[in-house]
Amino acid sequence: MIRFDNVTKRYQTGLDALAELSFEIGAGEVAFVTGHSGAGKSTLLKLVSLAERPTRGQISVNGRDLARVRSGTIPQHRRGIGMVFQDHRLLTDRSVFDNVALPLLIAGTARAEIGKRVRAALDKVGLLAREKAAPVALSTGEQQRVGIARALVAKPPLILADEPTGNLDPALSLEIMNLFAEFGAVGTTVLIASHDLMLIKHLRRRVLVLDHGRLVDDYRPEAAA
Amino acid sequence: MNASAQATPRAAPEPLPAIRVAHVRAPLGERVAAWRDQHFYSLFSSLGRMSARPWASGLTVLVLGFALALPMLFWLVYDNARELSSGMREAREITVFLKPELGTDAATAVATRWRTRTDVAEVTLRSPEQGLAEFRHLSGFGEALDALQDNPLPSVLVVMPKAGREGDSGALLAALQADQDTDLIQYDAVWRRKLSGMLHLGQRFVAVIAALLALATLLVIGNTVRMDIQARSGEIAVMQTIGASNGFIRRPFLYAGFWYGLLGGVVALLLVGAVEFALAAPIRALADSYSRVFAIHGITLQVALAVVAAGTLIGWLGAYVVTMRHLIVGRPR
Repeated sequence: MIRFDNVTKRYQTGLDALAELSFEIGAGEVAFVTGHSGAGKSTLLKLVSLAERPTRGQISVNGRDLARVRSGTIPQHRRGIGMVFQDHRLLTDRSVFDNVALPLLIAGTARAEIGKRVRAALDKVGLLAREKAAPVALSTGEQQRVGIARALVAKPPLILADEPTGNLDPALSLEIMNLFAEFGAVGTTVLIASHDLMLIKHLRRRVLVLDHGRLVDDYRPEAAA
Repeated sequence: MNASAQATPRAAPEPLPAIRVAHVRAPLGERVAAWRDQHFYSLFSSLGRMSARPWASGLTVLVLGFALALPMLFWLVYDNARELSSGMREAREITVFLKPELGTDAATAVATRWRTRTDVAEVTLRSPEQGLAEFRHLSGFGEALDALQDNPLPSVLVVMPKAGREGDSGALLAALQADQDTDLIQYDAVWRRKLSGMLHLGQRFVAVIAALLALATLLVIGNTVRMDIQARSGEIAVMQTIGASNGFIRRPFLYAGFWYGLLGGVVALLLVGAVEFALAAPIRALADSYSRVFAIHGITLQVALAVVAAGTLIGWLGAYVVTMRHLIVGRPR
């Protein structure tokens, strides 16, 4: 699903955010990227979503070489990716329903279909009753769940999450992570950047550990077990 | 480790195509319907955003209205002046006042003499009596003229040169001027040329003012939309990360520009209408005092529609330029 081949990303400041990184994540896999802050977790996700281009090396997502994705088709590429952010980035001037509907609106889905899909997504994150609420009226955990509903509503084959539990307490964090784990079970690939090592250990999933832009460990619990 | 991971997508190929087809492409009819829905939504939501800030939007629309109304008013003045002057189209004829002591027979002889010239098309003789009657009719001094014992007017020849360029009648003019029987000649083409020069200048002036104010309109709308974009740059960034195309992001701003231009055009029409209304009564009084030899016209429906259409187009264009700039600058590299 995601394949990195000797990828280096050097920013204009001269800093190598990622250095000669190679790994592959299969379809339906749920994996974590971890490391201290500045290790390159966010850069890795940005390269996958084409918010940044690699300095060297090759990246392919869903079988497509990202170097061949031209600027004009980047939106098309991103529609195949559900994005979840630490600060959830909801649009505060719209209702929960409208926020979740946004990816479908962008993709040009028919109106009747939008209603069905949005409610299904909200149901999955347990917020069906709050569809008319404004995002600011929700708790932080609920806001994050709306963000997740928005990421999965268009049924993308890949979901990227950047510190999705960064602002949540441990109990809520576990709840959110379990939600992500469920998507893997239905064939969606999930890549989560997180520095919450306790939580990651608890979930027993594959973990890529970055240090100064290099892959220092690729831990697979099932292989270890 | 790579080998096992590589094998995974091949082992389970079914879910991927199914998922992709489901979310990337809907049937054409559905996509057209969705596209139409999006446009309707943007059309009215942009109007809603403007009405959410009535003061700011209202001021912008007023500025645009004035900017569009000014060239319209200048154009009105120019167009009326042009129409008034078109009454003097037949100004190629040369009016020759003969010496007063010449009698009717002598005047007829002079007229016959001029008719023989090759560069003369026609010569009309107006006797003093005809002249007096005409003067009595046009000037309104009828009673005063009755008090005169003698007719003070001379015989007049109206000489029409053969059709040609205006400058060509110079030789004829000189000959008429030099003739011993001529008292005075009046050649309207000279001042007619001055008038048409002034009208030409006026036309150019209106065009330049209109171009400058159209540019000002473009800048005002562009700047308004730019501030709007800045206020919503966070929202735009979110939309971009979840795969919104440039067209999708641009659309509400383009519709905002459309509304600004359209409403500005309507305000301009109202302003011009108010000016026309304020000036209508004095102009009518003035026209009456000139025995209605001229009339003033207002803005026609075509001009009104053209101004509103131009305003709308300028609004759209201004918004387009500003949004494109924002999207190009913010493009990931």
